[in-house]
Amino acid sequence: MTVDLTVNLGSLPLKNPVMTASGTFASGREFSDFVDLTRLGAIVTKGVSMTPWPGNASPRIAETASGMLNSIGLQNPGVEAFIEGDLAWLSTNASSTPVIVNVSGHSAADYARVIERLETQDSVAAYELNISCPNVDTGGMAFGTSSTAAAEVVRECRSATNRPLIIKLSPNVTDIVEIARTVEAEGADAVSLINTLLGMAIDANTRRPMLSRVVGGLSGPAIKPVALRMVWQVACALDIPIIGMGGIMTAEDAIEFLIAGATCVAVGTGNFIDPTTTMKVIDGIDEWCRSHGVEQVTDLVGSLEVSW
Amino acid sequence: MTHTEHPFVEHVEVLSNVRVASGVGLLSLTAPRCAATIRPGQFVHLRIGTQTSNLLRRPFSVHRAYGQTIEILYQVLGAGTLQLAEKEPGDTSMDLVGPLGTGWRVPQNTSHALLVAGGLGAAPLGMLAEQLAEAGIATVVAQGAPTAERLVARVLFDRVARRTEVATDDGSAGERGFVTAVTARLLAAEKFDVVYTCGPEVMERAVIAQCQERGVACQVSLERLMACGIGACLSCVVTTKSGLKRACVDGPVFDAEEVLFDATEIPPKH
Repeated sequence: MTVDLTVNLGSLPLKNPVMTASGTFASGREFSDFVDLTRLGAIVTKGVSMTPWPGNASPRIAETASGMLNSIGLQNPGVEAFIEGDLAWLSTNASSTPVIVNVSGHSAADYARVIERLETQDSVAAYELNISCPNVDTGGMAFGTSSTAAAEVVRECRSATNRPLIIKLSPNVTDIVEIARTVEAEGADAVSLINTLLGMAIDANTRRPMLSRVVGGLSGPAIKPVALRMVWQVACALDIPIIGMGGIMTAEDAIEFLIAGATCVAVGTGNFIDPTTTMKVIDGIDEWCRSHGVEQVTDLVGSLEVSW
Repeated sequence: MTHTEHPFVEHVEVLSNVRVASGVGLLSLTAPRCAATIRPGQFVHLRIGTQTSNLLRRPFSVHRAYGQTIEILYQVLGAGTLQLAEKEPGDTSMDLVGPLGTGWRVPQNTSHALLVAGGLGAAPLGMLAEQLAEAGIATVVAQGAPTAERLVARVLFDRVARRTEVATDDGSAGERGFVTAVTARLLAAEKFDVVYTCGPEVMERAVIAQCQERGVACQVSLERLMACGIGACLSCVVTTKSGLKRACVDGPVFDAEEVLFDATEIPPKH
């Protein structure tokens, strides 16, 4: 039995539903010794801003129970360096894999400027707007925790491109469905969820925070139940596709997200634990579908049985 | 030593895991591919735990490599190294990502080298000392530790170096005090082409200052918290004259004059 792993992320056809979560895979080059980049459904790049961002002071990470906190702060060399460096490398070395550029900004206009600069680049397949980073002072999560601000960013960016526009949502909200509905109404083609949960860790002996910025974003297996819940809630309410993520380490984790209603899945922290995780997840989804008689992976999407 | 092998994932088996000083272990692993390709100063990223305990890998410099074996010297500092200390011979639960990072470089025409080790900083200098000796480079080792017992790898250094001078905080071996007193004397008395140092950052900075005063080239191995170990996550950044660099790929060994030490860096606890 051959399993059809192809999915459509809105107008973007993908050879399988497995992508990389922004910020955990750089732009793929660092993983090319471990991963056949051409096998990925899509590569989602690290956040790209208009100008270079230095990121936060160290320490930037802390391990927690079944997870980790980070406060990297979207360190990146800016869109010009991205085009000349990573994007050029990707178009030479992984041209058959769609590249989704994750976009960061301090203002709605900032996001749109990055997109405008990238519109001339043929190797960009789609944009993912990061309105959910908990680690920057202005912008980031501030846009993703207010419907008004989220709508403004999406509107500015929507008018800047016809390419698929994906909005990465923050879990640090009272009602994620409300924000998701808002960005859908503004013309988003898909939503990614979840970004990291705001958290902190303390060293009792020194009475100091483990992160220099005190708070950071929690990721890894610890957050999977929250992510599944939010994917399921949003899937019940929206028509546009969902990229589900949050603690995916294995193919079975990924399958659970598909069942909850995600069309695609992204591996994040799992890339740090095992750089080959994405390949194992792709192979594992294929095997799982075979052994469960699922001919098309899309048959799994939203197949949750809620009746007992 | 500048050419870098492509890294890989390799399953490892514990050959032995012994306590060599209070809180310090020596782990020998069967890792044939890594043993054949790792270079002095490079490190491996070891998966010790599971999804529910010590999720992240831990970076360890490789102390020695021979045949199919690599040796790791580690200090029990946190939950990860505590779990590592409990691994028994025959354990096959771990794997490594490696060889990783940029190791020590030997400048052209080097004939005299000084190695300065503080505490567990001896770990990444073991393989270097052996290879310098093989290359016929006259090597002096200055080693410091709190006590004589904590002068880890002293036997190795005594075997391969032309001379070893030690200092301990309590005077239980060598002279009483900091190793930087030893290096100040050595740098005044002898001409070295290059100095290699690893240890507590306060010691490294003092050694670097001494080298800069005398115009001696110095390389330093830095320790940072890491998640991926392969250059993607940007957890382990080091501030340098040419911007932020990644300890995992651009280092852990840096030309000392490049590094701008950040006083806010909190030492990692593994």
